[in-house]
Amino acid sequence: MHPLVVQYRAVVVKEVRQTVRDKRVLVLLTLVPLIQLFVLGFAVNFDVRHVPTAVVDRDGTVESREYARTLLAGDTLDLKAEAHDEQTAEALVERGEASVALVFPQDFQEDVLRGSGARVQALVDGSDPVRSGVAADAVARHAAQRVDRLIQEDARARGETRPRPAVELVPRVLYNPELTTAVYVVPGIVAMLLLIVTTIIMAMGLARERETGTLEQLQVTPLKPVILMAGKVTPFVLIGLVDVGLALGVGAWVFGVPLRGNPALVALATLLYVLCTLGVGLLIATLSRTQQQAFVGGFLFMLPAVLLSGVLTSVRAMPDWLAWVTYLNPIRYYVEVLRGSLLKSAGLGDLWLQVVLLGVFGTAVMTVAARRFHKTTA
Amino acid sequence: MSPAIEVEHLTRRFGAFTAVNDVSFSVGAGEIFGYLGANGAGKSTTIRMLCGLLKPTGGHARVAGHDVGHEPERVKERIGYMSQRFSLYLDLTVRANLEFFAAAYGAHGRELERRIGEMLERMQLTPVQDEVTGSLPGGMQQRVALASAVLHRPRIVFLDEPTAGVDPVQRRSFWALIRELAAGGTTVFVTTHYMDEAEYCARIGIMVDGRLVALDTPEGLKRTHAPGRVLEVRGPNLAPALDALRGEPGVLDVSRFGAGATVRVDPERLSGEALGRWLRARGVDPLELEESAPTLDDVFLALTAGAQRGED
Repeated sequence: MHPLVVQYRAVVVKEVRQTVRDKRVLVLLTLVPLIQLFVLGFAVNFDVRHVPTAVVDRDGTVESREYARTLLAGDTLDLKAEAHDEQTAEALVERGEASVALVFPQDFQEDVLRGSGARVQALVDGSDPVRSGVAADAVARHAAQRVDRLIQEDARARGETRPRPAVELVPRVLYNPELTTAVYVVPGIVAMLLLIVTTIIMAMGLARERETGTLEQLQVTPLKPVILMAGKVTPFVLIGLVDVGLALGVGAWVFGVPLRGNPALVALATLLYVLCTLGVGLLIATLSRTQQQAFVGGFLFMLPAVLLSGVLTSVRAMPDWLAWVTYLNPIRYYVEVLRGSLLKSAGLGDLWLQVVLLGVFGTAVMTVAARRFHKTTA
Repeated sequence: MSPAIEVEHLTRRFGAFTAVNDVSFSVGAGEIFGYLGANGAGKSTTIRMLCGLLKPTGGHARVAGHDVGHEPERVKERIGYMSQRFSLYLDLTVRANLEFFAAAYGAHGRELERRIGEMLERMQLTPVQDEVTGSLPGGMQQRVALASAVLHRPRIVFLDEPTAGVDPVQRRSFWALIRELAAGGTTVFVTTHYMDEAEYCARIGIMVDGRLVALDTPEGLKRTHAPGRVLEVRGPNLAPALDALRGEPGVLDVSRFGAGATVRVDPERLSGEALGRWLRARGVDPLELEESAPTLDDVFLALTAGAQRGED
């Protein structure tokens, strides 16, 4: 056997033995990502339902009651309380007991019947923009429908058979027809968990070798830094692939994430992505003296990396200069591949650029890490 | 046969600080060479350069026939290194550690098994081979570290304070192993600050502030740097009299410590009895007055004190 193969195998075996022996690391590598996926899949939910609503009906007529009943019939808004005046309603919103308050003025029905511009007031708690946006949208949509119906009733009363309005918007949502957040979020969480697990494990593992002096012991052996790095990375690349498989399994089973794309493409992208994250871990390790520094360094990298990836927020919502930064972020490309492949069954033809960029980034960061590693050791 | 280690004008600077300053020596094959010095005197820096871990900034060194600056990889294949931290994977078993380090030097298959079996026997580690290394007492960890360092049968082994923090009984048996290695033809380069251990070395180099200030056999060092006899004096209220003793005829050196002092004398001119009479004549009665041959401690004290006086 070639000495390089002997050395490479020795490092892989050693890493596996250490990982298997340390039950905490083993749990961190397998169970924790799944639990987090489970928890985050449910917690990171942009679906807005059951918004508590207070109603102040100062009119108390058939028209106002009917208006409130139909508005509250959907599952976006739930009736939480009925108040007699605006002050009470505002207090409810302020205390957080209601997020929306509807106020019908005294002459609501009369104004409607007279056609002289009836007004409904909606007080919306804006402290949660996503929630208030959806709630306000529901109120507005309902008002429009109501107006449309009034126009038609009016026309019918006058004996006209008036057609429905000339322009009607019929939205049809593709790929994620129910607009479930989980389907969109799960690929992002998979990328995030893989990042956390592999970066931290790699950075801490190497920092530990430096701290305990075994790295110095390795440096007096003929073991080449490249072989050492390759051997250290191998087990975690495999663990990364297994983690993604497990996470997508749970995603499909629990959250109904479709698995439409080509598994080979997902595996290839995962491989390149894990190379990126492990490379970053190694790079952090070469910049740290202790495990503690490596740990802190890992987090200092991961937080902005996740925020600037489009996993939790939309890249389109960022200011231009910040959006540019995301082009340097491998997480972004990996999530694009996952979403594209899983949800739209896009193939390599559509996602080749992302895959190539992942490869470029992975190679670059590994090279820099290897050079730094070589320098700090030689 | 060419020397195992040849060092010429070896120098290592870190910025403005010179850790190793123009050091030259050579070590013969199969020799046990001791390297002594206080912490920070440049011992570890020298060893790190000789192992190819650190590039010299001046001079050169050949180890096992290869220049450490130009061919560190060649040097690494031929040497073993054990640091005072024992640098083992404490979470792995003894056998797993040996397997890993043997493979790092390219051993595999039946050859690897055979060498590990032999080494476990020789270091008396066979019964604990499947124990987790971190759970073993210090003395055993030390033997595992030595085993990992010599498993690939290096021509030269570097031991950087290998007995730090190990009890005296274990230290003694460890030195028996080292002598056994040397008898088998392995060159041993060892740093220590235990003077009793230094006596085991064929030759000793003494480092003070980055310079090699003395190099000789233990006997030669004592003859040159701590000649005469040593009188240990103990008793109350000795200090003023001992201070006055400096400069008396026949007194070579006075080193005070605690309630006593070590007085080195020229035995031709001043005997222990004469010193006792001299002290009593000044009104102090030493409780104890013992005469002995100088040790390497006395050599070390003389050399470091000399260096400090030189600085002042």
